[in-house]
Order: sequence, then structure tokens, then C-alpha cells
Amino acid sequence: MDRLILAVEECDPAAQVVCAPSNVNELFEFPAIFAGVNRTVVLIFLAALIAIGLIYFAYRRPRLVPTKFQAAIDSVVGFIRDDVAVGIIGPDGMKYAPYLLSLFMFILVGNLFEITPLVNFPITSRIAVPGFLALLTWVIFVVVGIRKQGLGYFGHLLWPPGVPTALKPLVGLIELVSTLLVRPFSLAVRLFANLVAGHVMLSLLLVSGVVFIGAVGDIGARSVIGVAWFALGIAIFVFEIIVSVLQAYIFTLLSAVYIQTSVHPEH
Amino acid sequence: MEAAVKAFALIGYGLAAIGPGVGIGIIAGNAVQAMARQPEAAGMVRTTMFLGIAFTEALALIGFVLFFLA
Repeated sequence: MDRLILAVEECDPAAQVVCAPSNVNELFEFPAIFAGVNRTVVLIFLAALIAIGLIYFAYRRPRLVPTKFQAAIDSVVGFIRDDVAVGIIGPDGMKYAPYLLSLFMFILVGNLFEITPLVNFPITSRIAVPGFLALLTWVIFVVVGIRKQGLGYFGHLLWPPGVPTALKPLVGLIELVSTLLVRPFSLAVRLFANLVAGHVMLSLLLVSGVVFIGAVGDIGARSVIGVAWFALGIAIFVFEIIVSVLQAYIFTLLSAVYIQTSVHPEH
Repeated sequence: MEAAVKAFALIGYGLAAIGPGVGIGIIAGNAVQAMARQPEAAGMVRTTMFLGIAFTEALALIGFVLFFLA
């Protein structure tokens, strides 16, 4: 608790225009446990293990009449395979289903760490994780594009069919920046910013509640406000479950859409 | 000085949220309309809606990140 420096504790309205925590980064940084390995790194490996374990234990002994657990994982796998991979990319999509599934499972577990009691830290709120995953998607869609269409891929990428010659330099520049730079950047930042916002909001509300209620001896009846903060924090908690699942889905969906643009250039 | 920069960054984030806010409203509203008119197309509409929301939302989120960077 003493690591969290919050607005309630150190705001001086006369001197400060905005009552912001002096250093929000403290919410996201942990001391190294040993040799550069901190809590975040441990959680990344834990998330990968959980994602692998879920799939492994569901399909270790597949039954014709699935157990409850197998049926639950089945619905996730079926959703990613049929709705996202095949639904977006087309019949070729089966090839990319394993990548999309592992992406979805890892991000989902990583996001849900945000609201897991005693963990309470989404690993996807460190830009390294979504950044690397976005880079992976970027490499895949560029490599697939070059494989399927040869070097003509870059021609398609710069100039969609039917662009007037006079506009070619402008359109080419816009398409180049938007495809090769903005796509991976926005993919990473979308996931990152959503989880950062959620984590900051949760910590601020829940810890404000605890700080206010804990100060009942000093400020008396006014500490009732802490109950309201705490209740709002619990409400946001539920909201964050939706955000976690939705952001994992959106990341997977956009990866599929980007791969689809490389597989089928005519659309 | 630093507080003033922070205040401007906060205003900037607010401005960055206006456009995407309107945009997401339009997307979701029209998606609901489409689903009500053609319930059998709801699955496809929902996927497209999330795609549209994801693209629109990115602008607001970039503003949010810039607020922390400022």
C-alpha cells in the first residue's frame, strides 16, 4: 500500500492545477526478485503456462461426449476457428487458426490477471507485451503478403487498384504509413491503453476507498465517502471483465483482418 | 509550469475523446438499428461493429497515452 502514492494523500489544490498522482508509473513497476526477473516477468510465464495448460488438459483425453471443461474450451476454440479465422480470412484461415487461438488465450489470461484477486496486475499493461504481439502480427502479415503475391505485394499495398496516376504519390505515402506504421502501433496501443486505464482506475478507486475508510479516526463521519469510492471500484471491477474479454477478442479479430488483407489482395 | 503542462495535456485528452465518442455512438446506434431490422444478420453486424469501434477508439486511446507522456 505504501508504494501507491495517490492524489488523496498529496494534493495541494492551491499549488497544483491537476490533482494527479505524482508518479503513475509506480503502479506498473515492481522490484526485481532476482537478476532482472520481476513480478511482471513471472506473470508473463504464468499466463503462457495457464493458456497452454487450459488447452492441454481440455484435449488430453478428448471424449466424444465432452466433459464440462472440454465443452467450455471447445466453445472458445470453435469460436476463434470458425468465426474469426475462417469467418474473416476465408477457407485459408484454418492455417492461421492456431496462431490466433494462442494469441487470444494468452491475451485473455493476461488481461484477466487484472481482476484476479492477489494478482491484480494485467501483464498487457506493460507496452512490451502488446508491442511484441503486434510486431508478431506485423511480421506474419508482411511475410504472408510477400509469399502469396511476391514483391507485387508492396505494389498492391501502396496503390489499391484504380488509383488515378496523379494521386499515386499521395495515396502511396498515406497507404505506406497507415499499413506499415500505424497498424502495428494502434494494435499495440489499443490493448495497452485499455488495460492501463483499467488498472489505474481500479487502483485509484479501491485504494481511495481504503484510505478514506482507514482515516475514520482523523476525519470522522466524512470517511463515509470511502464506501462510495469502494462501491464504484467494485462496479468498475465487473466492467473490467467485459473490457478484458473484448480487448482480447478485438486484438485477435484485427490480427485476422490484417492477415486477410495480405491473403486476398483484391478486397 | 509542469502542472500547467499536465492541465493542457488533460484538456487535450478531453478534446481527443470527443470525436471517437461521437463516432462510437454513431457506429453502435446504426449497428443496433441494423440488428433490429435484420436479426438474422446480427452476428455479422456485431463483428463489423467491433471492428469499427476498435478503429475509432484508437484515436481516443492515443490521446490517453499522450496525456501520460506529457
